[in-house]
Amino acid sequence: MRVHLVRTIVVKELTETLRDRRTLLMMVVLPVLLYPMIIMGFGKLQESTREATEGRQSRVAVWGSAPAGLQDALTDDSKLQVEVWASAPRDVKDGLERGTLTRPPLPTKADTDGAGAAGGPGRSGGPGGGAAESASPVLDAARAAIVDRRLDAVLVIWPDVTSAVAEGRAGRVSIYFDSVRQDSAEAQRRVFDRVTEFRQSLVRERQRQRGLDEGFAVGLDLRSTNVAPESRRTGQLLGLILPFMLVTMSLLGGFYPAIDLTAGEKERGTMQTLLCAPLRSIEIITGKFLAVWIVSLIAALANVLSLGATMMRILPGGQVSVAPSTFALTFVMLLPVTFFITAVFLALAAFAKDFKDGQNFLTPVYMLLALPAGVTMLPGIELNGWTAFVPVVNIALLIKALLISEATADLVFLVLTSSAAYALLALLLAARVFEREQVLLGGRESVRSLLGFERNSGVGPSPTFALTAFAVVLVLTFYGSLLLQRAGTVTMLLVTEYGFFLLPTLLLMVAFGFPVKATLSLRRPPVLGLLAAVLIGCSAWAFVGGVLIRLLPPPDSLVKALEKVLLLDGQPTSLWVVWLLIAVTPALCEEFFFRGVVLSGLRKLGMVPAILVCALLFGLAHSSIYRLIPTMFIGGLLTWLVWRSGSIWCGIVGHALNNGVAATLVFNKGLGDFFGASTQAFLGWPLTLAGTVVLGVGVLMLMKVKPARG
Amino acid sequence: MIPTLVAEGLVKRFGAVAAVQQVSVSVASGEVVGLLGPNGAGKTTTLRMLAGILTPDEGRVRIGGTDIREHPLEAKRRLGFLSGDTQLYQRLSTVEVLRYFGRLYSVAAAKLEARITQLVDELEMRDFSGRPCSTLSTGQKQRANIARAFLHEPDLLILDEPTAALDVVSGQFIVESIRRQRAAGRAVLFSTHIMSEAEYLCDRIVLLHEGRIIDEGTLEELLGRSGSRNLTDAFLRQIGREAATSGMAAAS
Repeated sequence: MRVHLVRTIVVKELTETLRDRRTLLMMVVLPVLLYPMIIMGFGKLQESTREATEGRQSRVAVWGSAPAGLQDALTDDSKLQVEVWASAPRDVKDGLERGTLTRPPLPTKADTDGAGAAGGPGRSGGPGGGAAESASPVLDAARAAIVDRRLDAVLVIWPDVTSAVAEGRAGRVSIYFDSVRQDSAEAQRRVFDRVTEFRQSLVRERQRQRGLDEGFAVGLDLRSTNVAPESRRTGQLLGLILPFMLVTMSLLGGFYPAIDLTAGEKERGTMQTLLCAPLRSIEIITGKFLAVWIVSLIAALANVLSLGATMMRILPGGQVSVAPSTFALTFVMLLPVTFFITAVFLALAAFAKDFKDGQNFLTPVYMLLALPAGVTMLPGIELNGWTAFVPVVNIALLIKALLISEATADLVFLVLTSSAAYALLALLLAARVFEREQVLLGGRESVRSLLGFERNSGVGPSPTFALTAFAVVLVLTFYGSLLLQRAGTVTMLLVTEYGFFLLPTLLLMVAFGFPVKATLSLRRPPVLGLLAAVLIGCSAWAFVGGVLIRLLPPPDSLVKALEKVLLLDGQPTSLWVVWLLIAVTPALCEEFFFRGVVLSGLRKLGMVPAILVCALLFGLAHSSIYRLIPTMFIGGLLTWLVWRSGSIWCGIVGHALNNGVAATLVFNKGLGDFFGASTQAFLGWPLTLAGTVVLGVGVLMLMKVKPARG
Repeated sequence: MIPTLVAEGLVKRFGAVAAVQQVSVSVASGEVVGLLGPNGAGKTTTLRMLAGILTPDEGRVRIGGTDIREHPLEAKRRLGFLSGDTQLYQRLSTVEVLRYFGRLYSVAAAKLEARITQLVDELEMRDFSGRPCSTLSTGQKQRANIARAFLHEPDLLILDEPTAALDVVSGQFIVESIRRQRAAGRAVLFSTHIMSEAEYLCDRIVLLHEGRIIDEGTLEELLGRSGSRNLTDAFLRQIGREAATSGMAAAS
């Protein structure tokens, strides 16, 4: 790929895109205006409504004879316009005065449990509350007066309240209001506060009369303290809506450019001038992809900045207690998701014959991909092993986790790995589409042919095929192992290795007709290669345990979990079973997949890129950031062994010995102690040095092996 | 001398439809060859295969001796392609479009600016070369397109109905530009529906019908073989004869 040509395409596409008012609107203007308009506009509206409500007097009727103190408290409140018996029908007034109407019971036990609690807020359950009450003439009359807006609330003083209060019993009062109407809810709050004050003064007076302590009726002075720091509380607030808004708006930024640069070019007839220019299709798609991605990123940045500024303006105290670095990380998290969706958009938009067709194609895809980001608004859904692999959703949940300081290194790693895998697949698809002349010129092509998955007997896999197979197996393995978590280590090991590595390998070989011997490197190993494999397999673990894990020491929990796997859940068993399950099985299954199908596809990239990519994929498959460097190192050595010797058996021997020696040291405590492998966090330097020397001899030996052809 | 363009046995199928069947054509340096045929004859498909936009199912194309399938970048660098329905980038000016394609064709920066100035003068584009292409008239757009195709001084020009949808004045301007390219020693292959253009421009004419070549030669040779006085008659007779032959073949 010629970088200067890609840069030329990027600059041209960006120039043209940024001159399009529609894109600019979506990319910058909309986010800059949207958040202040929605959040501050609604805030202002809500504030002015609240101010108006608070400024107005509440029209409250008192039905019944209130005790003197309560009546005074109500009439003294300047915000209350108290009218005794206002809007009370004759039968209700008579019934309350004569004592024939009494408070109806609440319909359920749960509701009645709170009734009469001395320290509680009363039957209504507190300000703004209101339990359902059985139908009664009082309820009907109060409802009619409030719904007709003759009154905002009705305070009913049930018969016998004055004598009950005087005799030390609980008098019964009820507030009737309409929670939906702002004025009525405000009236309820005001009346509730006055009644509560009266009740508290009544309790204090009774305690004083009986010579009781101040806290007698309170019993327990309960205080709840929120331990969440300000940043977490703000983060929770932001985490509800921010990830969804950021993801949807960032994607919207790239929506029109993706269509314009593909279907738009087809419609204008400029695509064929580009196709007959001396350019590789990968250069065209990379240039276009980068331009759309940059536009998406500008949109993402504009969204993060605008939202951050708006939040800073509206949050209490005018300050956002979320660190600026969190906003910066949030932007970084948008890199993989915009990368993934830009590639999907480009690949799909290329199928459209014109701009309108492109919109029809992409709108449902946009909805399908962006709306799941709304899960952040649902309670209880958080980032975990399952959600970390769901595209788009994982990034939205990770942004939320970052905001509430709950993102762990392993989960960040998983999210970024899976997102990178999806993004890579999407980009490969987009590149594939741009290689198909039929698609670019408006024709149709079968999906199988488009994906390069046509059966082509006798020809080995391509790099695209290898990467696709890896991405599929990675997701399969991950979800499979999660499903099998409860099944025990042995079952999980066997199903994962045979079901998710070896079986897919065999199925792919049969389905696509790859030449078995060449693809799986099924050749007799050279003696020197085999010796090198033995030395490397026996010593690589020492270099890993003594040197590499010092770079990023794994947490204790991971070490314990690995030991548990190596010891097969601590089940009583013999060493040969451990070797069979921990050494031989993974060596066979993983080598046939990684050093067989995957390496065979990557061979076309040349030796160094093929070894590096194969090592990286092997490392990523181990799903932990702490194991990434060690497994990449081992993977690189095994790949080099197979590349150099031309035989998969060298990889299998090396892999089996590496796993087997490590498992033996854990299994045989005495041996582990002797080598100092089980007592220290890192392997001691003498053993590390000895292991490194053996490894060096193995590597030198491997370099002496005559390289295999093909 | 090896012709600039040599295409042999080109075949292109779209599903069950054979769009082009065994078409061979060559164009020498300083020669203009016209590709004539009714709608659906396979002209555009043939030209797209020659320009490397479509890959032929069979046959091979060499430009300046370079096989376009084996060395596509080198071959494409030697050709300029223009189609009548090709538009320009709406939000770029003519100069920006030329600069963009100049870079894609790896024209050296200093030479590129001089070449752009030269083409703007030659094709009389000074009045509109700085305006966005969306504001240009059809004739102005086609001049800008011609400039794009001529920009990197290709050995071969492939022009697919370059004067379609143009008025007489603009069409004549393009035709004269093509003549100048021939005078400069370039090989030109172009398709057209306008017979007078073909009579005026072409050194040789290839008649295409239903994806196959039905006649080929100089204007005089075509007229002589068909017994016609002008190219339109010759064209109609050849197609009519071909249709009758096809009908008889189908009947037998």
